[in-house]
Amino acid sequence: MKPALLAFVAALSLLAACGGDNQRLVGNDEYGDWRQGRARNRPQGASAGIVVFGVDKDREAREAAANGGGSGLSVNAYLWRATLDTLSFMPLASADPFGGTIITDWYSPPSANGERFRAQAYVLGRQLRSDGVRVQVFRQTLDHGQWVDSPVSASTNSDLEDKVLARARELRSQSASR
Amino acid sequence: MRKILLGTTAVVGAALLAPAVAEAQEAPTVRIGGFFRAYYGNTQQSGRNSTVPSGLANNTSPADGNLRQAIVAGTPTTETNVGTNPGHVGRLSKNDFSTDAEVHVFVNGKTANGLSYGAVIEIAFNQQEGRNIVQQRASTGKTTASIDEMYAFVASPMWGQIRFGDEDGPVGGLMNSGVITNFGTGGIYGDRESFVSRQANVRTTTSPGSLGDNTKIIYLSPQFFGFDFGASFAFNYNEGEDTGCPSNQSSGWCDSSYAFTGAASFGVAAAGPNMSVRRNEYQGALRWRGSLAGVGLSVTGGYVGSGAAKELSPLNVQRSVFQPLGVWQVGAQASAYGLTVGAQYEHGASNFFWGNLLKGDRPMDQFFAGASYTVGPFTIGGNYLIQTVEGASRTTFGYNAAGVLTATPNAGGAALMRRLGYGIGANYRLAPGLDIVAEYSSYTVAERGRDLDPSNPGVQDRNTAKVFILGTRLAF
Repeated sequence: MKPALLAFVAALSLLAACGGDNQRLVGNDEYGDWRQGRARNRPQGASAGIVVFGVDKDREAREAAANGGGSGLSVNAYLWRATLDTLSFMPLASADPFGGTIITDWYSPPSANGERFRAQAYVLGRQLRSDGVRVQVFRQTLDHGQWVDSPVSASTNSDLEDKVLARARELRSQSASR
Repeated sequence: MRKILLGTTAVVGAALLAPAVAEAQEAPTVRIGGFFRAYYGNTQQSGRNSTVPSGLANNTSPADGNLRQAIVAGTPTTETNVGTNPGHVGRLSKNDFSTDAEVHVFVNGKTANGLSYGAVIEIAFNQQEGRNIVQQRASTGKTTASIDEMYAFVASPMWGQIRFGDEDGPVGGLMNSGVITNFGTGGIYGDRESFVSRQANVRTTTSPGSLGDNTKIIYLSPQFFGFDFGASFAFNYNEGEDTGCPSNQSSGWCDSSYAFTGAASFGVAAAGPNMSVRRNEYQGALRWRGSLAGVGLSVTGGYVGSGAAKELSPLNVQRSVFQPLGVWQVGAQASAYGLTVGAQYEHGASNFFWGNLLKGDRPMDQFFAGASYTVGPFTIGGNYLIQTVEGASRTTFGYNAAGVLTATPNAGGAALMRRLGYGIGANYRLAPGLDIVAEYSSYTVAERGRDLDPSNPGVQDRNTAKVFILGTRLAF
């Protein structure tokens, strides 16, 4: 009996390896949860229960489905507005609220005529979180009448990101207190 | 600044890049789930008589093991009713409330290469079926917390899933088809046993889940062309951490003893301590799921087998007194438009509680059928089972004065035991996870010529427990 069963299992394992497109992982909620026949109809497996530690992706998805559609923004509204506010001292070249990109035109600060800056900002998702925005600043300097690329100080990008996040926090707390 | 933002703002919205992120690493989440239920039960059960209370244990002697009435000169006796009219014994009340809950902890995570992993720990509060007074002020409560199941898993779309821990096996609950219990509290496999006492064994069923969640390693394949399969192995019937040995002596209490004195009486697992002669248990199941013309179908075939511990005589002679456990199982179910029907058949060497048969005993056959219908918040259903199994064993094993194992044929002759029952039930969904349930079930054990209820005069060869349940259940 045992050898036959083992051979059977081995053969099936080999078959399983040939599945290709017809193969998929069986979800934890597709197995009987025998003792919990008593707790039927609750979500099982990875979406069971209430999250006490970590990010509840199911809840995010539910809320996104509930909030989404009508707003016209597919990225976090606070981060989006905060980024626009923060970069508003530069002329705007393009802003795509669906892709979450903001690209400014070249801008020369009045105090420094020999250099100009341009910024690209990406709002990365629907969540208001500190890694949800990325700012990239480009700098050129005037050299013999030609604009040439030159490095930006390392902290510039993250300083701008911090400014965006601070502004987003303001906006969030304003809307929360209303 | 970033930390402040992270700490002071709520996380809202969903990940824009959700599909792309799905394959990426996910930090583990810890979830709490579980259930609570409270029922009223009305029970009509044969032989549900009050009995002599067991003696309390002290440091030198254990509590009386059995709550059955003493028989004095052929007459059942109780403390207040010795020798007189034996029919006048106090019955247990028909009415009772019953509560139960479990708290489940789920850990889930995913590595950067797409490997899912996690653990499930289920904390139950029904550790003790019977009230037990060890000593004054040194006893455990009936609602003491214990572990129902606990296991860890790793899963990959390529090679499937491995579970390792105290968990049901593929045949014993994970992959069965045709066992329709999604109504009421589960019908004949439901919570009825919360209200039934042990007289005449009308409490115990051979449900898939009662095969046990002993510590095992389980492989569950990916699904391919509708097929998936599972296999498991366990060294013995036990779960949890330690060896089970209560002293420095190797004995039958030890999880891994393969021969012990008195093994012959542990074919049916002892209630509570998970003590049984089952050894080297393996399960295998193959399942197909698909749909034909809008009808969802599921078919499972499986096998569970095991060896058994041997009887060890005082003369240190080992004797094999058990047959290997070996039960085939096939089941199928179909569902469409809210209607689900299913049936399951099992045949093989097993007693009425998934235990090893003594040598010479007849195999078990069991047929189960059920149906349920869901419309809106209502689900109604019913299920039925009939089992034929060895009754009083054909042989009694013991030792003679010289310490030699003796096999005594059962004087009364061997008889077929029939166990049959049905349940009908309904639930109404008040809110997601919150149900009102109502259920009626009846379970009968019958064996010609054998007195299943020695507490009552005469030969009681048929015993029935009927339970009506009304209550609520919240899953969270």
